[in-house]
Amino acid sequence: MSKFLLLTLREIQERLGQKGFWYMLILGPIVVLLILVALLKAADQGKQELKVLLADPGQIMDHRLMAQEEKNIHYYFIDDYLELTEFEKAKAYQDFDVLVELNEKVLNNKKCFVFYRDQLGLDARMQLKFQVEKRMEELIAAQHSTLTAEAFSQIKQGFIFDFRDLKDPKNESKEANAWAGFVLGAFILFFVGLYGMTIFRATVREKSNRIVEVLLASVRPEQLMLSKITGIGSVALLQLLGWAFLLGLGLLVLQQTLFLDVLDPSNWAQGTPGRLNPLSALVFEQLNLPFLLLHFILFFAASFLFYGSLFAVLGARSGADADGQQFLLPLIFLVSFGIFAGIYSIYFPNTTLAQVLTYLPFSAPVLAFITLAKGATVAAYTSILLSLLVLLASALLLLRLAGRWYKNSILKF
Amino acid sequence: MIKVAQISKSYQRKLVLDDVSLEVPKGQIFGLLGPNGAGKTTLIRMLNLMLFPDIGQVYFDGQLLQASHLQQIGYLPEERGLYKNMEVRAHLLFLARLRGLTKSAASNNVDHWLQHFEIQDWHNKRIATLSKGMAQKVQFIAALVHQPQLLILDEPLSGFDPLNVELIMNEIKALKAQGTTIILSTHNMKSVDEICDHAALLHQGKLLAQDSILNLRQTHAKGQIFVRFKGNMLSFANALWTDFTLLSQHERADSLFECTLQIRGEHTVNDLMRSLQDHVAVEHIERMLPSMQEVFVDLITQKENQDV
Repeated sequence: MSKFLLLTLREIQERLGQKGFWYMLILGPIVVLLILVALLKAADQGKQELKVLLADPGQIMDHRLMAQEEKNIHYYFIDDYLELTEFEKAKAYQDFDVLVELNEKVLNNKKCFVFYRDQLGLDARMQLKFQVEKRMEELIAAQHSTLTAEAFSQIKQGFIFDFRDLKDPKNESKEANAWAGFVLGAFILFFVGLYGMTIFRATVREKSNRIVEVLLASVRPEQLMLSKITGIGSVALLQLLGWAFLLGLGLLVLQQTLFLDVLDPSNWAQGTPGRLNPLSALVFEQLNLPFLLLHFILFFAASFLFYGSLFAVLGARSGADADGQQFLLPLIFLVSFGIFAGIYSIYFPNTTLAQVLTYLPFSAPVLAFITLAKGATVAAYTSILLSLLVLLASALLLLRLAGRWYKNSILKF
Repeated sequence: MIKVAQISKSYQRKLVLDDVSLEVPKGQIFGLLGPNGAGKTTLIRMLNLMLFPDIGQVYFDGQLLQASHLQQIGYLPEERGLYKNMEVRAHLLFLARLRGLTKSAASNNVDHWLQHFEIQDWHNKRIATLSKGMAQKVQFIAALVHQPQLLILDEPLSGFDPLNVELIMNEIKALKAQGTTIILSTHNMKSVDEICDHAALLHQGKLLAQDSILNLRQTHAKGQIFVRFKGNMLSFANALWTDFTLLSQHERADSLFECTLQIRGEHTVNDLMRSLQDHVAVEHIERMLPSMQEVFVDLITQKENQDV
């Protein structure tokens, strides 16, 4: 076995032997999924199955709301005003969850009050609002014109100014996909930063406990540096892939269990928007996962080599005349720069600056993933490959330079 | 075994080795001596190819020193370092394999040395749990686990208790007996006196002296003689006449004296014996040689006086 492999394996074994790695691997995705569940659950808190009483003294609604009976919301009418205290306390109304007060002038002032006993779920609120509003529109249209409810709804709708790029007139760039790509690219930089710090700390530790002098009696400094970057990078990639797998698995499980109703469009009333649905559809249907995964590994490896060598040099400089630690913060800023560049590129994808940022090693991973997730054209894919090559070439060049700096610094105590 | 030919090395315009040439004979223990900052560590790092001279060459067994020779070199640095999270045996295996041993050879050698030092029970202990002395032993094993032809030991005795110092000294002697060449960099002059065959003294990057220990001591002898005799002290003093000066005297038993004398002029030990033979019964007489500590101080003082 080559010395490089021995050193790399030692690095891998050391990281895999740490409980922290396994905690992060398992707990990381669980925390992300829990946050997701918590957010969705928080939005879905409250009653979903409702019995609604509409107090309609003017009989405006004509005892009718929807053409068909709703599955989860049941409407009842009374043709008079109802005191709130009576609704709250009278035995006859205890079965009702909601009171909708429709005053006689509701079609003019377009305001009604909805009183509930317990908090309503977001879906139930939206359904209730949508259905009452729809019926109102129908009545207003009939009262003031000969228009059908649909025609009235069309007239009522605000005018949409849809700004579109001449180069993408059909708006195929898919903003949601772009954001998904951004998240993947940002994940690369996040893990590069996180594990880059591990390289920095491991180098500082080897230098301060002087094991480096024992190792350098057997291997070249460049070999030692590269093996550290490769070993720690492999562990980072393993954790990233583990996260991706567990998050994917978690989303699938959530789709099949907790959010079954929410995710199934057939369980939704007409016109009410889904929330986890687009996320689920985006992850499992719109994104080409194997294709993205392949590029994820390539871009991660190149980025890790690029940044890893800088972290190693700073570690080697630690304790020397010019302490490497003072350069750590600028390096973290440099890693963060890629994330800001990605946000810029989503909003201004066709500017010259966005093109330049695509080829800049600091921002290339994020920008490439934004393009890839949107479904790159041949021309765009060529530019992605080119940016990967630029990133790889920069990483190799930097490795050579970093090797020299590392060599000159690591034995200065 | 090792030949250093006219090497010079500078760090940021500071000359740390200045035209140093020396030879380390095969199978001998070579003391590399010098005060702090003399350039010893720089020279040792060059022998391990961690640093390269600006000028000059280093030869190993007649060949220009190159990476392939590192497998035949063992190195114990002055500042000890091990991975604290690794277990003793796993760490030694790792270092042995880095030195080029196969997995099975490394395993055999590690087990042999663990047994040899009677520390096989520590094999699964984490380095972090070892005492300083225990870790030193592990590091010592790490330096020789691959059976090197040349062993470079930088302050090998520091951190050991007297019992372990004895153990390591005996081990160094045993390695020499097996044919290993050893370079010993130390400030412990007693150990140099005891085990070194040759020595070189570096000072401010320059080589001040290089020779066998005996020659170095003889060269720096101050013309002092030790005598043990039976008889009368007054007769002894009279016999010295003006050719020898009495420096010290101790009565060890009734009429048994030990004295130190300083030779004056061109007189010899034979002259002294002739002077004494009719006056006292000489039991022991020897020319006193300076210790390496004295040689060391003498050389440095001479050099500093020259510089002034």
